Amino acid sequence: MLDVRPQPALHDTVTALTQRLFHEARLLDDERFEEWLELLCEDVSYHMALKSRRFRADRSAPIAVGAGNVFNDNLARLKLRIDRLRSGFVWAEDPPNFVRRVVSNVEVLDADEPNEAVVHSVVVIHRNRIDGQTRLLTAGRTDRWRKGGESWLLAAREIALDHSVLPDSNVNVFF
Amino acid sequence: MDVADLVDTSTGRQSRSIYSSEPVYRQELERVFGRCWLFLAHISQIPQPNDFFRTYMGEDDVIVIRQKDGSVKAFLNTCTHRGNRICRADRGNARSFTCNYHGWSFAPDGALAGVPLENEAYFGELDRSKFGLVPVAQVAEYKGLIFGNFDPAAPSLEDYLGDAKFYLDVWLDALPGGTSLVGETQKMVLNTNWKLPVENVCGDGYHLGWAHAGAMMAVQSMDLSGLSVGNASANLEGGLSVAGLNGHMALTSLDGVSGYAFYPEPKPMLDYLEANRPTAIERLGKLRGEQLWGSQINITIFPNLQFLPGLNWFRVYHPKGPGQIEQWTWAMVENDMPEEIKTTILDNQCLTFGLAGLFDNDDGDNLAACTEQSRGWRTSQMDVYTNMALGRSGAREGFPGDIAAGLVSEHNQRYFYRRWQEHMQASSWSDVPAYNLNSLASREAVDA
Repeated sequence: MLDVRPQPALHDTVTALTQRLFHEARLLDDERFEEWLELLCEDVSYHMALKSRRFRADRSAPIAVGAGNVFNDNLARLKLRIDRLRSGFVWAEDPPNFVRRVVSNVEVLDADEPNEAVVHSVVVIHRNRIDGQTRLLTAGRTDRWRKGGESWLLAAREIALDHSVLPDSNVNVFF
Repeated sequence: MDVADLVDTSTGRQSRSIYSSEPVYRQELERVFGRCWLFLAHISQIPQPNDFFRTYMGEDDVIVIRQKDGSVKAFLNTCTHRGNRICRADRGNARSFTCNYHGWSFAPDGALAGVPLENEAYFGELDRSKFGLVPVAQVAEYKGLIFGNFDPAAPSLEDYLGDAKFYLDVWLDALPGGTSLVGETQKMVLNTNWKLPVENVCGDGYHLGWAHAGAMMAVQSMDLSGLSVGNASANLEGGLSVAGLNGHMALTSLDGVSGYAFYPEPKPMLDYLEANRPTAIERLGKLRGEQLWGSQINITIFPNLQFLPGLNWFRVYHPKGPGQIEQWTWAMVENDMPEEIKTTILDNQCLTFGLAGLFDNDDGDNLAACTEQSRGWRTSQMDVYTNMALGRSGAREGFPGDIAAGLVSEHNQRYFYRRWQEHMQASSWSDVPAYNLNSLASREAVDA
């Protein structure tokens, strides 16, 4: 017997959340940051941890004070990043880079909370930058989306960046 | 190539070819990275026996290993048989390192410990003692920082650091518990020549209010020598550009608090500083304890180590050819700090100078474009200049070094390129000049 647990969410939930991810990606591609913020819960957690390459058999102690983060953001800090991007002083984004997100491998699962869903996805961010070169940033994402009224809002996003050395000179993008 | 023509310290001129020329780069690997003391790891990163940390010296892959007796050894990360890399992990703990290719294994002390088919195929005739891992010629520690040097004839680490220790100790020795690096290594590829990020941090307060204006608007919470968004102002009385110390530099404010100017909520940090300032004064003397400890200080150890008390990042640049580097960054803390202060520092370092750092993300494209604009047929024949405040430096009571006023000056950059040229012209250490300008007679003179 195939044990499917947690149960796959209902078909309309899957459709709604998949559409939500695609819509979110388009808002970010178009730098519609203020509209993107409206998709986030007040208590949103947006997180990407630092990693290292370790031997599978490695038994060394956990790193003191923690691994550190690329993003460790709440709503206020995400707004801080957007304030910077909107300041007119971020020369690395002027002229704008060509940025396009491809979102795939969407998997929607029931969450512990009745009004929430866990959503796994993969995002590939294409950046054709000021030097004419293209960088691809690939990450896995595990989200919690919360139903607020008629709409789904992002409550938490855990991002796993799949690069041991960042192949670009900045991360002026959201995943 | 005549190195004498590439840099002119008296006018602040550099030939752009030093950022793009392959022959210049090959000579740097030999005469700068092959000769200078290079940062390898912090003792806090390899606390236990058999802990290891992988890094680079120039383009050479190196493993740093804590020994059973507590000492530290460093080896080239290459099998002595056919040359394969023996350690592929960034860090960890290992009782041995086994080569993937034919299975030779090496002990943490570098000894060749195992050779498959040693009797059957080598007929028992292999002299294992001649095939141990190749050690880095010199390894030494200064207050927690482990350095390596490929040149057995290089001066001792203590002599190499010289009077820069006066400034280093403001971070490394202010409190009895010492310091640590924390967090995983933040690694980023930048398409820049390695000298440009060093120059950017060693003395270039000029770019701060302009290149980082967006970040300053977002997080600046305190005055930093009058530097402001759009470079509208600067207070030259508020800081020092310190050079003339064998290629090492410090760029420092003097208020004892502005290290935390780029913390959106600096109060817990300021409370911590005030609670511990009497100890810092006791250990460092009044001048350093009051004016430097807690200030924003950019410290550069020639050629490629930089760390900034206050913003609390610690960084090395590993060259990957004339036009590319890997930039490695960590957060740094004082071990006497309460856990919540350490956590705040790691968090703020990642926010400001991490991979998605609000400030750090402003620099990469500028440095890459400066590099690219030195590669053309015409541009490679052109010059660039660090000629701000030429001739406006001298002694400053209580502080070693040749010192210019303020954080906005190009005084330090000129000394950086002067030291680079001195190394590039010297065929061995005996030809490298030594100078610790305005050296202090003794530590007591400072404390008095």
